[in-house]
Amino acid sequence: MIDMIRAELFKLRKRSMTWILLIILATFFCLMFFATYGIISSPPDGMHGVAIDEIKASLQFPGVFNTIFSTAGTIGTLLMIILGASSIGNEYGWGSIRQVLTRRGIRYHFVISKLVSLIIVAFIGLLISVVIGSILALITSNLLGSVNWDSITASLIREQLANFGWTLFALLPYILMATFFAFLGRSAIAGIGGGLGFYFIESIAVSLLGQAGGWLSKIPDYLIGPNVTAIMPPSPFSQGMLPSAGTSLSTLHATLTLTVYCIVFLTASLYMFKKRDITA
Amino acid sequence: MDNNADLVVRTEHLTKHFGKLVAVDDLSLEVRKGEIFGFLGPNGAGKSTTVGMMLGLVAPTSGKVEIFGLDTQLHLPQILKRVGAMTESIGFYPYLSGENNLNYIARITGGISSTRIEKVLDLVELSGREKDKFSTYSLGMKQRLAIACSLLSDPEFIVLDEPTNGLDPAGVKEIRELIIKLGHEGKTIFLNSHLLHEVEQICERVAIIQHGKMITQGPVKDLMKKGDLLQLQVTEPEKAMAVLNNLDWIRSIVREDDKLFIDVNAERYAQISAVLAREDIFITEMRAKDNTLEDFFLEITEERTN
Repeated sequence: MIDMIRAELFKLRKRSMTWILLIILATFFCLMFFATYGIISSPPDGMHGVAIDEIKASLQFPGVFNTIFSTAGTIGTLLMIILGASSIGNEYGWGSIRQVLTRRGIRYHFVISKLVSLIIVAFIGLLISVVIGSILALITSNLLGSVNWDSITASLIREQLANFGWTLFALLPYILMATFFAFLGRSAIAGIGGGLGFYFIESIAVSLLGQAGGWLSKIPDYLIGPNVTAIMPPSPFSQGMLPSAGTSLSTLHATLTLTVYCIVFLTASLYMFKKRDITA
Repeated sequence: MDNNADLVVRTEHLTKHFGKLVAVDDLSLEVRKGEIFGFLGPNGAGKSTTVGMMLGLVAPTSGKVEIFGLDTQLHLPQILKRVGAMTESIGFYPYLSGENNLNYIARITGGISSTRIEKVLDLVELSGREKDKFSTYSLGMKQRLAIACSLLSDPEFIVLDEPTNGLDPAGVKEIRELIIKLGHEGKTIFLNSHLLHEVEQICERVAIIQHGKMITQGPVKDLMKKGDLLQLQVTEPEKAMAVLNNLDWIRSIVREDDKLFIDVNAERYAQISAVLAREDIFITEMRAKDNTLEDFFLEITEERTN
């Protein structure tokens, strides 16, 4: 199994798509930081001092960490859906799946090695996000005054390590969903379409159901987006990007709900992949 | 000696349904150790589905496949360690070089050195182009890489599904020679091909399937003998037809202008000459028609279709 994971990482490293997605991630961070800095440098009419201060804090240490994780969680979800779906779907498109399966014969090795390698890539992507975000925060902090080094304490670092873990965990249901759709449709398009489609439709559904009364308003509590929101650090930039609601959900509820989604998608993918024929 | 110990592949009443379509129907065949076995059939006959079931890509609806005496449904990982396969549609990663594609396969297979990768690349004459991306390869080069891949682990049993597709005549000849060489090294080869001329030259035994059913199997020489024809040119073809039709040891006669094609055992040729001479019919030309595997294949598959 270890050799298969290493082989998967070898492929991901050699694939230009991985690097392109990484460039998109870095570019998104840069654009977001500098555009936000531009807004607070010359605020639009009607923007209050409190709002400006909040945004300023989100570009400086220590508040910037929330910005980094929520941004990485949002853009990371979209990028990992694309990478996860194409990692599985293209195996069908290129026919390379037959090459792999006629070597190993144990199908769950294929699924697990793919998922583990995708989680490793997500981990690396998140780490890169923290590095890029921190560099950008150093620049914006200096532009806005100076870096408050006293705010970087051991407890802050511990808290950010926990946030790192939660953000990585928040990516999992979407990665597993995209790979499930790719297995289901035996194509990258099915995985990307299914994953992104669910992501955006869920956002709309959560907003609409939030307006409804009775049991309908409870449905978002069991969808992915609101539970992701519940475990992610808050940030002014996540408004409108992650499905709203969920702030009232407990961390335990969110963790359990997301774990159930992960188990369902993983089990369904494994079962489907084991049972299905691989034909030309 | 136990005959089963000599078997590399044995399918037993192998059947595969895709919904209402019966792709493979009660197929039983045997491939012996060290032989080059040809698997023939028209398009859509069920050849690739059979290969898929042998390699664990397709689950049989009923029946079973045994390779090295082990059931593929139960012992696939152990079996695949001893098998090299080239499937019909070549599947490699377009963004990796030929060498890196083999590197990847070597990593997931385990126990394959870089020297072995170099050796198989050399064997299929891809050395010099191994650093180029797979997406830049011609069809023939892709085919060669697939063959190299099937040989990577130096397997005892090699499955080749249409290995000469897309190759030029020189390439076809090289692959033919390579397969024969592998056969001489004691490898067992299962060759799925529609190039009957190739199969005729390479294989010792063949099986022919149509509509998923086995039509015939046996040594190539025996199968070709089944269809021996005597070609006669005579002075009075109509009269000759009437005379010969009365002989019960003649299986069939077909007339084309002044030529008669007679399906008869070779030992009766002299008798035919004598019978016609007694009736004052003179033979102007007499020769045994060289029957090829292609003739036999077309004859037997058309017969079934009709």
